[in-house]
Amino acid sequence: MRRLLPIVVFALLLVPTARASERHPTLAELEGEVMCPVCETTLDQSSSPAAQQIKRLIATRIAAGDTKTQIKNRLVAEYGSAILAAPPHKGFGLVAWWLPVAGIVAAAVAVGFGARRWARSREPAPADPPLDAASERRLDEELSRFEG
Amino acid sequence: MTRPAMLAAQGLAVALVIGLLALLVWRVANDNSKGVAQALKDGEHPTAPAFDLSRLDGRGRFDLMSLRGKKPIVLDFWASWCVPCIHESTRLEAALKRYGDRVAFIGVDTKDFSGDARDWQRKHGITYPSVHDGSGSVLAKWGGLPIPRIFFVARSGKVVGELIVEEDLPRYLRQIAAS
Repeated sequence: MRRLLPIVVFALLLVPTARASERHPTLAELEGEVMCPVCETTLDQSSSPAAQQIKRLIATRIAAGDTKTQIKNRLVAEYGSAILAAPPHKGFGLVAWWLPVAGIVAAAVAVGFGARRWARSREPAPADPPLDAASERRLDEELSRFEG
Repeated sequence: MTRPAMLAAQGLAVALVIGLLALLVWRVANDNSKGVAQALKDGEHPTAPAFDLSRLDGRGRFDLMSLRGKKPIVLDFWASWCVPCIHESTRLEAALKRYGDRVAFIGVDTKDFSGDARDWQRKHGITYPSVHDGSGSVLAKWGGLPIPRIFFVARSGKVVGELIVEEDLPRYLRQIAAS
C-alpha cells in the first residue's frame, strides 16, 4: 500500500491540470489532438492550407472562450470523427482503447502459464520409495551372485 | 492447465488467426472501391455513386439520385482552402450562364469548414448550389484528393468524363447537354 501512495498522489496532482486544459485549452495542445484532413498527420505537423484553416478556427474558438470539448465537437460536426487524432471513448472507438489492454493482459497470462510450466519441468523428480525388506534381501542376493 | 484445455486454447487461437486471414483475403478480393476517376482512366463509364448531403446554404439536403433521368450534371469538388478551385469554379460559373437551363451544376465542398466555404462562395461570386462533404467520404468514392475535381454525368446517370485539360469543359458540356 505504501508503494502505491506516490502513484495516487501523482494522479491527484494531475486532476487540476486536466481540468484547466479542458476549460482553457491552448492551440498547441489541440494541434496535437486534431488531424489535418488532407495530409493525414496532426495539425502540428502540417502547414497545408487546410491545416491553417482549422488552426485559425481553433484559435478563434479559444478566444471566444470555448472549452476543449466544445471545440472538438464543433470540428467533428464539420469534418466527421476522423478529424480527431484519438478515437472517441465511446461506441466502436472503445475497441481501439481496450483491445491493446486486453492483448497485454492475455499475453501476461500466457507468459505466466508458460513460466509456471517451465518451472515445474525443472523441479527434481520425487525420490523412489525405499525397498521393502524382502526386495532388499533379494537384491543383495542377486548382486552377490553376480559379483561372486 | 490440463492437456485437453491447452489443446482447445491452441485450436481456438489457430482458428482465430485463420479467420482473420480469410477476412483479409475476402476484403482484398472484393475491394471494388477504385473510385470514379480510376474507372474513367480504365476506359469505363461507371454509374455516378449516389450521395445525399446537406446543402451548404442550409436549405435542406440534396440527393444526387433525384436528378437521374431528368438532367445531366456537372459535379465540382472544391474547398475554400484550395487555390486552384477558384479558377475552375469561376469557369463553371461562366458556363452556368450558357448551360444552366439544360445542365445542373452542383458543387461538393469537401474536407472544409462550412462557414469559410460560404464566405468563399460569396467572395468569388459562385451561385450554383453546393453540398457539404466535411469528412470527404463522397470525394473518396469519386477519386479522392487532389481537388479541384470536376465530373460530367449524363442524364442516364453514367459518368461521361472528368475535366483534365481546359478543352474538356466545353467538350463534355456539349456532350452531356445533348444526352
